[in-house]
Amino acid sequence: MDFLVQILFAAVGMGTPLLFATLGGVISERAGVINLGMEGLMLVGALVAFVVMLNTGNYFYALVAASVSSGIVSMIHGLVSLVLRASQIASGLALTFFGTGLSGLFGDKLTGETVEPLTRIPIPFLSSIPVLGPVLFNQDLLVYFSYICVLFSWWLLFKTRLGLNIRSMGEAPEVCDSLGLSVLGYRFFAVVGGGMLIGIGGAYFPLALTPFWVDGITAGRGWIAVALVIFAFWHPLKALGGAYLFGIALALELRLQILGIDISPYFLKMLPYVLTILVLTLATIRHNRLGIQVMPAELGNIFFRGEKH
Amino acid sequence: MQIYLEKRIDTSSWVKFIVLTLALIVIVLISLFCFLAIGIEPIEAYKIIGEEIFLTKYGWQDLLVKMTPLMFTGLAVALAAKMRLWNIGAEGQFHMGTFALTWVALRYDGNLPDEILIIFMFLMAIIGGGLWGSIPGFLKARFGVNEIITSLLLNYVAAAWLDHLLFGAWRDPNTNNFPITKEFSEAAQLPSFGNTSIHAGLIIAFIFVIIISLILWKSKIGYKIRLSGDNPHAARYAGVNIRNLTILVFFISGAIAGLAGFCEVTGIHYRLQQNISIGYGYTGIIVAWLAKNNPLGVIVSAFFMSIVFVSTEVLQIEYGLPISMVYLYQGIILFTVLGSDIFTEYKLRIRQFKA
Repeated sequence: MDFLVQILFAAVGMGTPLLFATLGGVISERAGVINLGMEGLMLVGALVAFVVMLNTGNYFYALVAASVSSGIVSMIHGLVSLVLRASQIASGLALTFFGTGLSGLFGDKLTGETVEPLTRIPIPFLSSIPVLGPVLFNQDLLVYFSYICVLFSWWLLFKTRLGLNIRSMGEAPEVCDSLGLSVLGYRFFAVVGGGMLIGIGGAYFPLALTPFWVDGITAGRGWIAVALVIFAFWHPLKALGGAYLFGIALALELRLQILGIDISPYFLKMLPYVLTILVLTLATIRHNRLGIQVMPAELGNIFFRGEKH
Repeated sequence: MQIYLEKRIDTSSWVKFIVLTLALIVIVLISLFCFLAIGIEPIEAYKIIGEEIFLTKYGWQDLLVKMTPLMFTGLAVALAAKMRLWNIGAEGQFHMGTFALTWVALRYDGNLPDEILIIFMFLMAIIGGGLWGSIPGFLKARFGVNEIITSLLLNYVAAAWLDHLLFGAWRDPNTNNFPITKEFSEAAQLPSFGNTSIHAGLIIAFIFVIIISLILWKSKIGYKIRLSGDNPHAARYAGVNIRNLTILVFFISGAIAGLAGFCEVTGIHYRLQQNISIGYGYTGIIVAWLAKNNPLGVIVSAFFMSIVFVSTEVLQIEYGLPISMVYLYQGIILFTVLGSDIFTEYKLRIRQFKA
């Protein structure tokens, strides 16, 4: 029981960056724009958060700076794939290269530096619920913020006019265009807004999970998040379940050895990636079985008024 | 006043040339800005890079040495792209190719005739890379799973698998616990040109460019690949088995990436070591994109990206910059080339409104 709580507690922590990134991906893809640059954006967020934290010691500044800089970097993706109408896939890959290089270049001198990680703040009353309390409500502030972000993005996408418009951009941009909505504007907004969330996901690494700098600090989690967007069927609430499922896999990776189970650490390292492939396959099969269109119909397609693609 | 885009009726190669030149200028300007941002005198840096690469014998050698794996990985990505498939997993296929051939070398080195050993290793690199590549191919063909994500994630799995061996069973006990295997015997080494570091792998790379070009344009299967890429519906009506073709293309693509590993191991390092690919697989994506997926174009773009790699090395030696800077360059290059493409199809027009 105690072990279970420990694992689940760690799973929420490990799942939180995935959750932020997946939410960001959901928002962007709902508007019809694939973002394969998540890994790069997370690295940018992580780097900026670490640098600001190192210099100011203020978590809030670090978080805002990380989020804003990831937003700015995702503007390049918006510029290239939306304004200049290049392939969203290629542009996203370029974004991953760019972010990886940027964090490698400026992070090089930071290797070995440490910052103070976020402390846990138990929520009174809620944290004393058995199992759920210590798992969900004895976490740091950013985890609580991620709960709010899940609810907020669900509310935004499904309960507001703005969200309806964003989702329409992914389904039928030509209709939106004929209604006088700016396809470019909404899509750009979704890409940058999503990018800001993804940056927060990256910032969670140095601020809470690994409070020291290592090259490639996000270790491919951005790509897992790309898969999670599909696994969550482009829905913010389902993203929660997906992110924590992977959180469990990542938490087990760290803890199985402590339990004395004799598995090569390198096999444990493979676990989350293999699990992602497995889960993605199952999600795709289910998706095909359902026979309904869950994926935004115009995802990845270039919209240009007056031209058929 | 309004700025808008007007479709060109046709694109002359003159326009393409101007756009490409402008893109190159933009790339140089952005990297100039990057140098300033990290406090390096840009003109001097360019001068050093230019001298080190083009005016020294070592520079030229290094260009051709780095170009070799890039030709393979670029070719691998380009072949898959001909069928509108994204193989982002060349890095992992490279690694699994080296895994398979190292297995042969460690097991049969000295037990097999010399010529057989290296051919066996060559074939195993093809099989290792090819089978690893078939996994995303199979998942795509059978279930429609997004091949971009699966092929990429398998890179991490392959890297962990090599780490498992290099930090375990395959580690050479005589090398102070470095994650490297023992050196292969001379039978498992490709010949070099004279006393340079350029090795026979470069020739193999050129041969494969020709082979893949011939397959694509002179064979039935190549026709099917191009047809399925250009118009999958037409291909299906014509009786092309797209599923099997997808798996086959991913196998060949992975096999070519595996051969990049073969050339690196048998041509340069003569052993398996950690980080044997310094991102060659990922760079293959850009090589293919710059070549517009044309195998012959891969030769030019592999050379260009090789310049980027060697420049980064020069910067590493002269200024102590990290090698991961190569990714920054690659991002900038890909962004710029992607962003400039539109101007070959459209022209910028400015419209004046009269009051």
